[in-house]
Amino acid sequence: MSAVTSARPRPLRFAAFVMNTTGHIIQGTWRRPTACQTDFNDLEHWVRLAQLLERGRFDAIFFADVVGLYAPYRGDERKYFEAGLQVPSNDPSVLASALAYVTEHLGIAFTASILQEHPFNFARRVSTLDHASKGRVAWNIVTNYLPNASRNFGLDGLTKHDERYVWADEYVEVTYKLWEGSWEEDALRQDRAAGIHADYDKVHRINHEGPRYKVEGPHLVSPSPQRTPLLFQAGASEAGRTFAARNAEAVFIQSPNLAAVARDTADIRSRAIRAGRLPEDIKFFQGLYIVPGSTEGEARRKAAELDEWIDYDAQLSHFAGALGIDFGHEDLDTPVGELTTEGVQSIIGWIKDLVPDRPATLRDVAHYTASNSRIVGTPEQIADELARWQAAGIDGVNLVNAEIPASYEDFADHVAPVLQKRGLMQREYAEGTLRHKLFGRGDRLPDRHPAARYRRAFAPQPA
Amino acid sequence: MKRLILNLFEMNCVSHITHGLWRLPDNNRERHNDIEYWIELARLLEDGGFDAVFLADVIGTYDVFRGSADTSIRQGLQIPNNDPSLVVPAMAAVTRHLGFGITFSTTYEPPFAWARRLSTLDHLTKGRVGWNIVTSYLPNAARNFGLDGEVEHDTRFEIADEYLDVLYKLWEGSWDDDAIIADRENNVFADPARIRPIDHDGKYFKVEGPHLPSPSRQRTPVLFTATASGAGTKFAGQHAEVVFTGGPHTDFIKRTISNIREAAVEAGRRPEDVKFVTIAGVIVGRTDAEAKAKLAEFERLTSPEGYLAHAGLPFDPTAFPPEAKLKEVTSTDGGIGRWRAFDPEQTVGEFLAGFGDLSRHPLFAVGTPEVVADAIERWLDDVGIDGINLLQYHSYDTARDFIELVVPVLRDRGRLRGSYDPDESLRDRIFGAGDRLPDRHQGARYRGGAHLPVTRLSA
Repeated sequence: MSAVTSARPRPLRFAAFVMNTTGHIIQGTWRRPTACQTDFNDLEHWVRLAQLLERGRFDAIFFADVVGLYAPYRGDERKYFEAGLQVPSNDPSVLASALAYVTEHLGIAFTASILQEHPFNFARRVSTLDHASKGRVAWNIVTNYLPNASRNFGLDGLTKHDERYVWADEYVEVTYKLWEGSWEEDALRQDRAAGIHADYDKVHRINHEGPRYKVEGPHLVSPSPQRTPLLFQAGASEAGRTFAARNAEAVFIQSPNLAAVARDTADIRSRAIRAGRLPEDIKFFQGLYIVPGSTEGEARRKAAELDEWIDYDAQLSHFAGALGIDFGHEDLDTPVGELTTEGVQSIIGWIKDLVPDRPATLRDVAHYTASNSRIVGTPEQIADELARWQAAGIDGVNLVNAEIPASYEDFADHVAPVLQKRGLMQREYAEGTLRHKLFGRGDRLPDRHPAARYRRAFAPQPA
Repeated sequence: MKRLILNLFEMNCVSHITHGLWRLPDNNRERHNDIEYWIELARLLEDGGFDAVFLADVIGTYDVFRGSADTSIRQGLQIPNNDPSLVVPAMAAVTRHLGFGITFSTTYEPPFAWARRLSTLDHLTKGRVGWNIVTSYLPNAARNFGLDGEVEHDTRFEIADEYLDVLYKLWEGSWDDDAIIADRENNVFADPARIRPIDHDGKYFKVEGPHLPSPSRQRTPVLFTATASGAGTKFAGQHAEVVFTGGPHTDFIKRTISNIREAAVEAGRRPEDVKFVTIAGVIVGRTDAEAKAKLAEFERLTSPEGYLAHAGLPFDPTAFPPEAKLKEVTSTDGGIGRWRAFDPEQTVGEFLAGFGDLSRHPLFAVGTPEVVADAIERWLDDVGIDGINLLQYHSYDTARDFIELVVPVLRDRGRLRGSYDPDESLRDRIFGAGDRLPDRHQGARYRGGAHLPVTRLSA
């Protein structure tokens, strides 16, 4: 497997973990005088951020997304609006072409749920963006776990968990057929003299017929640089891991500690092998929140100052709303052992292990959600810590922000140079598409990826 | 004096509606995959004073003519064809005034995601977005979205009507104007008492809401539609703010305009609430000879076959002798494809002559800038249109020629402004009455949560 102990480390990959909204992961910090998250409606806000990230040699900007509200907290959704907690939120894919235009190398990853649009149209939009960005687009494949999102799309409630992945399997199958199989490599001729724009015999219908989708084709877009965008996935469940092992090229993990990283990455890699892929076909990105300072003391002061702005009730609402268990009526200082909401004990019992010296409370859970996987220290200390995460098995970091742009400015100005000196971060971008930059073996999916089976798989169209 | 609405007619493909001409020297059509193509275009149009770029779209291939997509694919005829909405943000990033009309079909996609995407675009452009509402007519499009064939015409409009209703609820009703407080002191970003779900439960759609984006500048984007049918006229009268209209001759167009204005009045709106834009073929030169020389070059490269495929002809007239009568070669009763009807007594030769004929657009002007401006003024004053969608023969020369030669003349004559008003939304530019839909438009009925179920969020 990966040679993590070599003298010269491989550079880690860095993505900025953002969302087209006010409150993404760290809640309440939008109120800081220097925070600009509230400008998310503004194109200039994102243009400036993308340019900053490219200057800092980030590999990608990664947009999270949801298409509904989190489940009620304290009986309703009030808290999410008051906190700007992922609502209002805008479509992230729409930003991509503008960000592609103002950058040259930055990867643009966005989340899109299989719930929100038909795969024929989605495949077309992604191909359009892959052209517009010259092959720098990644798709974070998600199902959906929010009942309100389901009800926004005509369903009565959540689709059962495992059924969601059956749905996802078919959804990606349709897109793979369109991206990889519909147009042969040399189908586009653009021969003015002969008056032949494309070769009819090399453009194919896909005639997909499955339980959920029936799609004729052909794909409307000619082959883009990557064809299939770089595929991200983040499922942690049994079905999610199997799906990731089969499809994902980059997996976003939120492992609580180094031991869990080793366990989670090994698990998904072994599943990938069973799916006919190689362990190195998947890169793991750990979500981390980094607070640097010129001295350890300064970093700690900064972290403490940021913590003062955190809205712990909002942190808890995000956590509860994602689980769908409303423990919002419970007081933050109630010991976890005394909580009465049904189901909550089994969900957050683990917090007791993290606070062994006194009765753990909901406030501890809230603090945990805002400080879990947080690294506070000097750039050198951060580099040491990142090296440990890398040794545990991660390939990259999805960098959480407390503030835009300050969190990324701090990182680019103070941490990146040290990481670069240590060989833990790239100094210059590699040329080529996002896939090539990450894997160094060309623009397209490797032949052993399940999408590759659709290459040249379709018969010529009927004459 | 009536001012001209000046749009460029575009599509994210190679051969949009001037088939064969992509082969012209220095034509940039093949660059449509490249975002730089759109950036250059947007800058050119804004420097030249265009109001908007109007992006057509289809979500299938033209595969009826000769029973296959052969002709379309060979000619780059709307395939490859990329998504139109996604090139807009890049164009928006390099412009301040140019508007964007984006085509999207109501027939196959759930309304919630599209409503959100348009609101996002309206935010990003600061209110410069329009939506061209279409219902899709290609059989292949239907089969791309799981259906066996086209949804019947009137049903498509019934679906569209409900689709719009869902969108109005999301755009106009779900969030109040003052919902975003961003109160840093008291830790309130948005006030839930001013935001509500829509709980739409209709025949075709069930959508809970609330809308996810906050109110954008225009809320509802400027609503375009292109239609002339019966169901389409009613629909346009109810919803459209700008109708993209055409037809075989000016009387037909005048009739369409008056029918739609009537339908608008029936829907409680004013006749002037709907503007009309028609396609314009303009070949301009410094001299008449220069313009005619351009036309001759275009005629040399025009592809009648492309037009046959585009029309979706269910029979192949080129397979018959030119002197044969149409009624002898096809059982089709005169209504072919969706573009035109024919006279069964016509010969195949006469019929074919209409395909690839660049002068077939009623508003077609070849000549000096004055000749072109005269023609446009006649259409504004006599036919009653409000604007044009300028057809492109060559990208970017068609737009460049128009800007260089015709725009100054139209400005002199008071038909175009000398410059943009700073910071106006697309709707305000077209109607001069603010950023939002007028109160009498049916989309306005949901404002403040009126006609929506009682809110749950403010409980």
